[in-house]
Amino acid sequence: MLEILQNNWLLFLVGQYPHGPIGGLAMTLFMALTALALCFPFAICLALARLSPYRWLRLSATAIVHTVRGLPLIMFIFWTYFFSPLIIGRAVGGVETLIIALVVYEAAYLSEIIRAGIQGLPKGQFEAASALGLGYWTTTWKIVLPQALHNMLPSMVSQFVSTIKETSLGYVISAHEMTFAASQVNNVLLTQPFEVYAILALTYFVLCFALTSLARYIERRISAGRVAVATPAVAVAV
Amino acid sequence: MIQFESVDKWYGAMQALAGVSGEVRRGEVKVLVGPSGCGKSTLIRTVTRLEAIQGGRVLVDGVDVGARGVNINRLRQRVGFVFQAYNLFPHLSAIGNITLGLTKLRKMGKAEARERALAELARVGLAAKAEEMPGKLSGGQRQRVAIARSLAMDPEVMLFDEPTSALDPEMVGEVLAAIKQLATNGMTMICVTHEMGFAREVADEVWFMERGAVVERGRPADLINSSAHPRLQRFLRTLA
Repeated sequence: MLEILQNNWLLFLVGQYPHGPIGGLAMTLFMALTALALCFPFAICLALARLSPYRWLRLSATAIVHTVRGLPLIMFIFWTYFFSPLIIGRAVGGVETLIIALVVYEAAYLSEIIRAGIQGLPKGQFEAASALGLGYWTTTWKIVLPQALHNMLPSMVSQFVSTIKETSLGYVISAHEMTFAASQVNNVLLTQPFEVYAILALTYFVLCFALTSLARYIERRISAGRVAVATPAVAVAV
Repeated sequence: MIQFESVDKWYGAMQALAGVSGEVRRGEVKVLVGPSGCGKSTLIRTVTRLEAIQGGRVLVDGVDVGARGVNINRLRQRVGFVFQAYNLFPHLSAIGNITLGLTKLRKMGKAEARERALAELARVGLAAKAEEMPGKLSGGQRQRVAIARSLAMDPEVMLFDEPTSALDPEMVGEVLAAIKQLATNGMTMICVTHEMGFAREVADEVWFMERGAVVERGRPADLINSSAHPRLQRFLRTLA
């Protein structure tokens, strides 16, 4: 196994770069990060729409979220892969396809996290904003979202972990990411699939475990902060 | 300044306010007392439409609070509201809590807003705590920041919803002192409280509420000492 790693570590890490397209772990991380960053604005819009006082907005957002969550990611990958050439008139690469599919898919999940964050805020925060005379958008941008997103940071890191794992589906449309790199190595060696995919698994695990631990750490810090706010006795009275 | 005209409020089948009428004139201080669940908090919350009402009218300066087309946010800027649980924004510093309304609603520049906010903090004795986050402040300090936050908007009326009920006893005094100072300066206010000493000192009139209605009203000295109001006396004994 070590020998495989010694001979192929660069392929696992960055794919065929600089002699070919960048891939491997670098591309896996790039796609997950890009997808998450791009889906963020959509997720916020969906979350706000689901909490909107307007029925039509609420219902349409709810329908979108439930539809996306009720379908497997691979459907979105196939749809994007086969339909986007029809729409824009040229073939779309595997990486772009996967990112687009992930943005749609993750937006639905992330919107639920953000919605939970908003609904988890104390009612007093909304009332204090109303009582001051702040409008909907100021309240949302300055009071609600900063707190909701902060509180939901651990869940968002967990969502990032899911996204990393989901990029492995890029393999089916030849997006050059880490699983694709592993299959290339396997195709060369032919006789050691167990070892090759063990290396792949181990890499995913180390990465995801580290991030999950980070999420747990953030969660502890946030709840420690909440305790300090909830019990004035802890605060230093002067 | 504020008129209640037979205000009715229902929570489902439970009637929280039953035909409450009354008037608060400019410069007057009204104190609302009564057992918990009697509707006193609900009543002051109707003034800024934090609670919608089902019957009657609430007028602020002649404007019907519940009317369609009323710019409720504009109206809320004229009516300060202080909550029992302070409701400071925990992600903003003490001064950040105050400048938010000034920059967003009063359209002040940053420097001007800071100056104004510092002046308000100084007024409640907390200029030194301007940069502290709410989590680092004591309950009494938080409530004073909340008062400063409301005052910064130059309200014409202040509403206090049990401002000292969540505080440790040793902090009640500092908050009441800040409110008393306001009253002395002629601020119009309605204060829901159980602090009868405070009521006696600052109230022009005390309203005693029970089951969603104002059952007694009068000057504090008259109400508190009189034996003519058995229900009120019974209630006052439960406080003591």
